[in-house]
Amino acid sequence: MRGMSTPFLTFAVGVPIAALGLAATLIAQSPAPGGWRNPDWNKPPITDANRKPAPRRSLVGMWGPAGGPGAGTQASGVQLRPNNGRPENQLPYTPLGLELYKSHRALEGADAVVAGRDNDPRNTCEPLGVPRYNHYNVRLTQIFQDEYKVVILYHYDNRWRVIWTDGRELPTIADGGVLIGGELREQRFFGYSVGRWVDDYTFVAQTVGTMPEDRVWLDSTGRPISDKVVVTETFRRVDHDTLVWSETIEDPKVYTKPWETMRLPMRLHDPRTDLMEYYCSPSEQDNYNKIFEGTAKGKGAQ
Amino acid sequence: MTIGRLVTLTVAAGLWLSPVLLAHHSSSAFDTGKKLVLKGTVKQWVYSNPHCFLMIEIKSDSGEVVQWVAETQAPSVIFPAGYRRDTFKPGEQVTITIEPFKDGRPFGRILQTMLADGTTLGVAGSPPSAAVPAP
Repeated sequence: MRGMSTPFLTFAVGVPIAALGLAATLIAQSPAPGGWRNPDWNKPPITDANRKPAPRRSLVGMWGPAGGPGAGTQASGVQLRPNNGRPENQLPYTPLGLELYKSHRALEGADAVVAGRDNDPRNTCEPLGVPRYNHYNVRLTQIFQDEYKVVILYHYDNRWRVIWTDGRELPTIADGGVLIGGELREQRFFGYSVGRWVDDYTFVAQTVGTMPEDRVWLDSTGRPISDKVVVTETFRRVDHDTLVWSETIEDPKVYTKPWETMRLPMRLHDPRTDLMEYYCSPSEQDNYNKIFEGTAKGKGAQ
Repeated sequence: MTIGRLVTLTVAAGLWLSPVLLAHHSSSAFDTGKKLVLKGTVKQWVYSNPHCFLMIEIKSDSGEVVQWVAETQAPSVIFPAGYRRDTFKPGEQVTITIEPFKDGRPFGRILQTMLADGTTLGVAGSPPSAAVPAP
């Protein structure tokens, strides 16, 4: 990665020393029975009085939506363009994009269908892929980094992805995958990501080579995304406790022009916070469906 | 209208509708803003993904026992509001406030819970301060 001069940061010692002061403050505020620290969503707002400078070239930390635990859910569509039927939120679909959208039967959004008639790949626990993980129940998200990469651990479904920062090139999109060194490589749910620091507090990542439109959606309202997308994410460290996570998609196959999907402020949490698992289990999902199906038929739950 | 009559009417409306095989359902399925208060006996509490759900039995005025299924969010989401794996035990009395399904079937989404000991738990995702013992 050009311009990368961040000292090596391991998972174990990656949190800036300054964060220890924050952690000490949190100890008195957040219950940690037996040392198992619960998430603290009652943090005081960042003001001029308590604002601390951002560390240089570091995204490391456990981050949660600054607006609260539900602020990153995006059930009604991507954060900046919810699928609510308003003119300003209509998307610049290509003819294929519109056709794909109409073929998606989502449970959320302006064109939602009734349960049981949907075809959201989420409902069979398929991986959501990039960029949908950025738009699906974004809650406490951990970011680690070393001199070669930034790693994002999503809470939902315990998924993780790597953004390489060692200077490697962004692969070239090709039909059916990407070209790396002239060789065609496979499509991936998380694609191929590289990133770089554009200044000491702004990190930009790009992702290509994602799964095709018959495997993944953009959001929970059935908006499409294709394997020709270039996802550009910007992580701007506003201050020590605040990170703004933005995303723009450029997908000429389904959208006529690039557009911004989210600009999500994230708040730093105690790095010792214990996260409960938040997974998609086919067997638990099946049990859930059976319970509701049984009651729907007037039999009562089994 | 008593809860029993309300439940009877609701179930009748639900049986009139053709059943649909349910999958993970939409928030649009709920009658947002409408509230029902149900008092019944816990049959089962399932602490699972993608949703936890509580099955309670309610006896109507006519003596008919109707089972309601009230769901809430995944364990990690409702934990801050005080919901735990052992929050509800079979046979205990519980009072829940729900947003019911629009179609009249005996489903709902939990907005608030009052346990037999008076402890009140809030809506999913609300902070721990919502979990306060009743005076």
